[in-house]
Amino acid sequence: MRAQLMRRTLLSLVLGLLFLSTPAMGSCLDNYQELLGQLQKQADFMQHTSMLLDPYISIQGLDKDGLKKHCRERPGVFPSKDALQQLSRQEFLQILNTTLGHVLHRLRTLQKDIPKAQDLEKLNIAKLNIRGFKNNIHCMAQLLPGSLEKTEPTPTGPGASPSPTPISDAFQRRLEGCRFLHGYHRFMHSVGQVFREWGQSPSRSRRHSPRRGLRKGKHRTHLSSRNKRLMPRGWLPR
Amino acid sequence: MALFSAFQTTFLLALLSLKTYQSEVLSEPLSLAPESLEVSIDSARQCLHLQWSVHNLAYHQELKMVFQIEISRIKTSNVIWVENYSTTVKRNQVLRWSWESKLPLECAKHSVRMRGAVDDAQVPELRFWSNWTSWEEVDVQSSLGHDPLFVFPKDKLVEEGSNVTICYVSRSHQNNISCYLEGVRMHGEQLDPNVCVFHLKNVPFVRETGTNIYCKADQGDLIKGIVLFVSKVFEEPKDFSCETRDLKTLNCTWAPGSDAGLLTQLSQSYTLFESFSGKKTLCKHKSWCNWQVSPDSQEMYNFTLTAENYLRKRSVHLLFNLTHRVHPMAPFNVFVKNVSATNATMTWKVHSIGNYSTLLCQIELYGEGKVIQKQNVSVKVNGKHLMKKLEPSTEYAAQVRCANANHFWKWSEWTRRNFTTAEAAPSEAPDVWRNMKSVQGHCVVTLFWKPLSKLQANGKILFYNVVLENLDRPSTLKLLSIPAPANGTELTLDQCSYQIHVTANNSVGTSPASVIAVSGDPGNKEVEEERVKGTEDGFCLSWKPQPGGVTGYVVEWCERPGDPLCDLQWKNLGPNTTSTVVSSDAFRPGVRYNFRIYGISTERIPYLLEKKTGYSQELVPSDNPQVLMSNLTSYSFTLSWKDYAAESQPGFVQGYSLYLKSKAARCLPGSEKAVLSDDSICCKYKIDNPKQKTFVVENLQPASFYEFFLTPYTSVGEGPQGAFTKVTTPDEYSHILIRIILPMIFSILLIMILCYLKSQWMKEKCYPDIPDPYKSSVLSLIKSKENPRLTIMNVKDCIPDAIEVINKQEGTRKSLTETEPTKPTYLYLLPTEKSHSGPGPCICFENFTYNQAASDSVSCGHVPVTPKAQPSQLGLLTSSENGPKALGKNYVNSLGEIPAGETNLNYVSQLASPMCGDKSSLPTNPPEPALCSEYKTQMAIPMGLASPPSITLLDEGEHDH
Repeated sequence: MRAQLMRRTLLSLVLGLLFLSTPAMGSCLDNYQELLGQLQKQADFMQHTSMLLDPYISIQGLDKDGLKKHCRERPGVFPSKDALQQLSRQEFLQILNTTLGHVLHRLRTLQKDIPKAQDLEKLNIAKLNIRGFKNNIHCMAQLLPGSLEKTEPTPTGPGASPSPTPISDAFQRRLEGCRFLHGYHRFMHSVGQVFREWGQSPSRSRRHSPRRGLRKGKHRTHLSSRNKRLMPRGWLPR
Repeated sequence: MALFSAFQTTFLLALLSLKTYQSEVLSEPLSLAPESLEVSIDSARQCLHLQWSVHNLAYHQELKMVFQIEISRIKTSNVIWVENYSTTVKRNQVLRWSWESKLPLECAKHSVRMRGAVDDAQVPELRFWSNWTSWEEVDVQSSLGHDPLFVFPKDKLVEEGSNVTICYVSRSHQNNISCYLEGVRMHGEQLDPNVCVFHLKNVPFVRETGTNIYCKADQGDLIKGIVLFVSKVFEEPKDFSCETRDLKTLNCTWAPGSDAGLLTQLSQSYTLFESFSGKKTLCKHKSWCNWQVSPDSQEMYNFTLTAENYLRKRSVHLLFNLTHRVHPMAPFNVFVKNVSATNATMTWKVHSIGNYSTLLCQIELYGEGKVIQKQNVSVKVNGKHLMKKLEPSTEYAAQVRCANANHFWKWSEWTRRNFTTAEAAPSEAPDVWRNMKSVQGHCVVTLFWKPLSKLQANGKILFYNVVLENLDRPSTLKLLSIPAPANGTELTLDQCSYQIHVTANNSVGTSPASVIAVSGDPGNKEVEEERVKGTEDGFCLSWKPQPGGVTGYVVEWCERPGDPLCDLQWKNLGPNTTSTVVSSDAFRPGVRYNFRIYGISTERIPYLLEKKTGYSQELVPSDNPQVLMSNLTSYSFTLSWKDYAAESQPGFVQGYSLYLKSKAARCLPGSEKAVLSDDSICCKYKIDNPKQKTFVVENLQPASFYEFFLTPYTSVGEGPQGAFTKVTTPDEYSHILIRIILPMIFSILLIMILCYLKSQWMKEKCYPDIPDPYKSSVLSLIKSKENPRLTIMNVKDCIPDAIEVINKQEGTRKSLTETEPTKPTYLYLLPTEKSHSGPGPCICFENFTYNQAASDSVSCGHVPVTPKAQPSQLGLLTSSENGPKALGKNYVNSLGEIPAGETNLNYVSQLASPMCGDKSSLPTNPPEPALCSEYKTQMAIPMGLASPPSITLLDEGEHDH
C-alpha cells in the first residue's frame, strides 16, 4: 500500500514536471465520459474520406478506374482494428498518439503536391483536427494514470516523427500518398470503434489494469509480437 | 621485262619509302583522332554527354576540326544518329558534345563512336577522317535494379503540344503489360521482348499536377507509372516598352505571358540586353526593369528582352531614340494667383529634360465637374497662364500637365489646384410673385421670390430688401430687410395701391429690383374653370391673348394642392406668349392641380385671366359612393349618393356605372349586359352625367331578388369593385295587405289599450265578481233564523207552480245511453196528482246567488274551459287565499259550459243538499218534491259584499256546484 502511494506521488511529480515543460495547450476536460465522447466524435469525423483522400485523389488525377484499386492502404502502415482492440487503453492511446504524429508529418510532405489554395485549406484544417485530437488524447491519458509519459501533447511546430523514405518518382509518390491517406481514414474508423467500445464497456476498470496482458499472460506475449508487426515500419512499441 | 619488273619494284619501294617518309613527317596530323572518349547520361533530360580530347597537337596550335559522331541503339549496327561537330581544337582541350535522345535512355542500350578530321584551311592536305574510336556503350537498363517493371521517362517536363516517347521495361515475361494515359489505354511498339515504346504526339495540358501515365500487369497488383508534367506554352513578353522621366534612368516594362500552369512553377528569368553598348542586366522583377542611361550621351538604344524558362527562350526587341521616349515628371510649384471675380492666374514649374528642350504644357479649367477651358502653353522651366471669363463666387479646378514638345511621347501626370473666384453683385432681379387675400378690411399680401441661381447671385445672398411704395401717397416708402435664405414675407397693407420693389443683396452689392404692384382689388374675379389634360411632359396651358396693355403673364399653381402650405409656384412669361407647358417633378398622378393665369398690366398689377384644372395623369376612382336606397316598390327603387365627393377623386368623374344582378335572363331597358371581373354576368346602367346623384331602377319584377353596385368612372376606368347590395322587391299585393293589416293591428291595439284602461269597467260589465254564497249575508240570515224580525221567504209562503229544470247535456259527461234529445224537465213543485210520485224526503231549494255571469253570457262571450283545469282547481282550493277566486272562476266556467241557446232560465237554482251534487244527474234524477221541501228566497248580493268562503265549509262536491 505504501509502495503504491509512493509510486503515485512520484507519478504526480513527473506529471507536474511534464506540464511545466509542455507548451500551453488549453485546459483538459476532466470528465471522462465527455472526453471520450469528444474523441469518438472527432474520430468519426476524421474517418471521412472527403476530408483528405477524396480531394487528394481528384487533385492528383488518380480518379481513374485502373488506378483507384491501387489506392488502397498498404498493410502494416497503420495498426489494424484487431490489433487496436487488443491493446490496453494506455497502449492504445500511445499508439494512437504516435501514429497521428506520423500522419501530421506525412501531411506536411503531401502539402507540396497540392496546388490550389482551397485544397490546401482542407489539408490545413485536417492538420488542425489532428493536433486537436492529439491534445485530447493527451487529456484522456491524464485520466488514465500510467500512460501519460507516452502521450505528449501536439507540438505546435514540426514534430520529430520519422520521415518516410523519400521517393523520387512522382507517380509512386502520389500513389503512396493516396494509400497512406486511405490507411489513415481506415485507421481513424478503427479508432472510433475502439473508443466506442470504451464507452460500451461497463466500467473503467480496464484503465486501471495497466497490463491487461498480465492477466492473460500467454495472449499478451502474442499481442506484443503482433504489435511489432503492425507498427509502422521502423516503429517499435515503446 | 625483268628490267621493267625490277624498275617497277624499285619505283614502288621508292614510293613506299617516300610515303613512309611523308608519313613520318606528317605523323602528327595523322594522329589527330578523338581520344579519351567518355559518355555520360542525363536521364532527366534524356541526354548523352560526350567528352573527349585530341592529344597530339602542338603547343599553341589551334586547328579547326570536324568530329563525326555516330550513335547506335540496341546494337551497333543500328545507327540512329550521325552528326558532324565542328570546333576549334587546342592541345589537350576537353571537347564536349551532347545529344538528346527522343527515346528515354533507359529504354534501350546506346553506343557511341566518333572520328575526327582537320577542317582547317591552313592545312588543307589533312582533310581526312581519323579512325573511329571504339564503340562506347551506354546501358542504363543494367543499373535499374530488380523491380519487375519500369516506366520511363520519370517526371519529364514538356511543353504543351510536344511529342513524347515513353517506354516500359518489364523483367517478367509472364505478365502482359498494359499502359494507360489518364486511364486510356495506349498502344505501342515492341522495341525488344522486354521493352515497349509509346509515341505520344501533341500532348495536352491536363492538370496542374501533371498527366498520369502508368503501366500495369494484367494479373496482380503490379503497377508503375510516371507523371508527365505538361506545361502551357511559354509566351513571349508583350507590350515591351522603355521610357525615361529624367534622361538618367530608363524604365522598361512588359507584360509577362501566362504562367506554365504547373504546380511546380517553372522558374522564369528575364534578361535585358542593349546591343549598342553590349550591356546586359538580369531583371529582378517579372514585368519591369530599370536601365541606367549611359553618361556618354548615347541616343539610340536597341534592347532585347529575353524571357527564359526550363523549356523555352523567348525574345522581343525594341529600338528607340532616348529623347523620343521622354515621359516628363508632373509639374510642380503649381499656384493659382490673383483670383478676382472673373480672372485668375496659374503658375507652375517643370523638371528640365535637357538643356534646350521645350515642354508643351496643357491647362484645363474645370467648373462643376466639366472642362470649361483648355489651353496649351510652351514652357522651358516656368509656366504661367491667365484664366479669364470666370464666374464670380464659383469654385474651379485648374490642372496642368506637360510633354516633350519636340517629340511627343507621353503626357506627365496632372497637377491640380482648386480655387474660388471672388463675389460680385447679383446680376439678376429676383423672380417675385404674390398671393393676396383680404382679412378684416386689410389686404394681406404674401410675397414670394425664388432664390437666385448661382450664376445670378454671384455670391452668397445675405438678405433681401423689400421696398413698399404707396402709389396713392408716393412720398411714403417703407423698407423691409429680410435675411436670407427667406424666400418670401407677408405684408399687411391697407386698401391702397402699392408698388413693391424686391432686391437681393450679397456682400458686394445689390441686384436689380423686381417690381410688382398690388391694388385694393385682389383681382380674384370669378372666372369659369376649364379642364386641362396633363401629359408626362406636364400641362400644356394656353390662354387668350389680351388686347393690349399687358407686360407679361404669370401662371400660378400649387404643387401640393391638398397641403395648406400649398407650395405655391409660378412661371413668368412674356407679353407675346399665349401658351406654356408647366412641368414639375412634383406632379403626381391622380392629384388635381389648379392653374391660374394672370396678366400683368402696365402698372405691374396682376389680374386673373383664366383658371385651369387637370390631372397630370388621371386614375380610376379611388372609392365608390355610399348609395342609399329608397322608394322600394314592387317594380322599382331609387338610388341616391348625394354625399359622394367626385372632386376628390384621382380623376374627373365622367359618370357612374350601375351594375344590377337579377335572375332574369334579359337586361332591362336602359341597361346592357356586362361581365364582371369574377366572370359573373349582370346588367349595367350607364349614367353619363357626373352631376346626377340619383337613379331610379325601374321595370323590376315584384317579389324578386336583386343586387346592385354603383361605381364612378373616369377616363381611365371604373372605381374599385365593391360589394353588391341586396334588395328584394315586395309582392304586388303586399302593399294592399299592409293597408288593411296595419290599420287593423292599430285598431286592435287601440281597443286593447282602451280595454286595459277601462278594465275595471269591463270587469264590472263582463265578468263581475261572483259573490261567495258562504259569505253571503243571506247565510247570516239563515243562521239567525231564530230572529223573528227577519222576514224570510219560505217556500210555503210562495206558491210556485212549476220549476223548469233544464236538462243540460255535456258531451264529455254524457253516457252512451243518454242519446235522447234533451228535453226540458219540469219539476212540479206543487203537489199534483200527476206529478206526485209518492212521499219522499223533504227537498229544500235554496238558491243563494244570482248568477249575473250566466245571465250575461250571451253578451260577454263564451269562455271555454278545458276539463284539465279541474285538478288544478282542486289544488287551488287547498289555499285559502286562492279559494274565492278559483271558486268564482270555476263557477262561472261551469256555467259557461251551458250552451247559450239552451239557457232558458236565467235564475238557476242551486241544490244545497248533497243529494243534488251531480249537475248532470239533474235530468235523470230530478229532485222530487217533498212535503217538507222549502224554497228559500233568492237574493241578489252585491259583489262587494261577497266575502271569501271559509275552506272548512267547502268540500269537493260543493265546489263543483
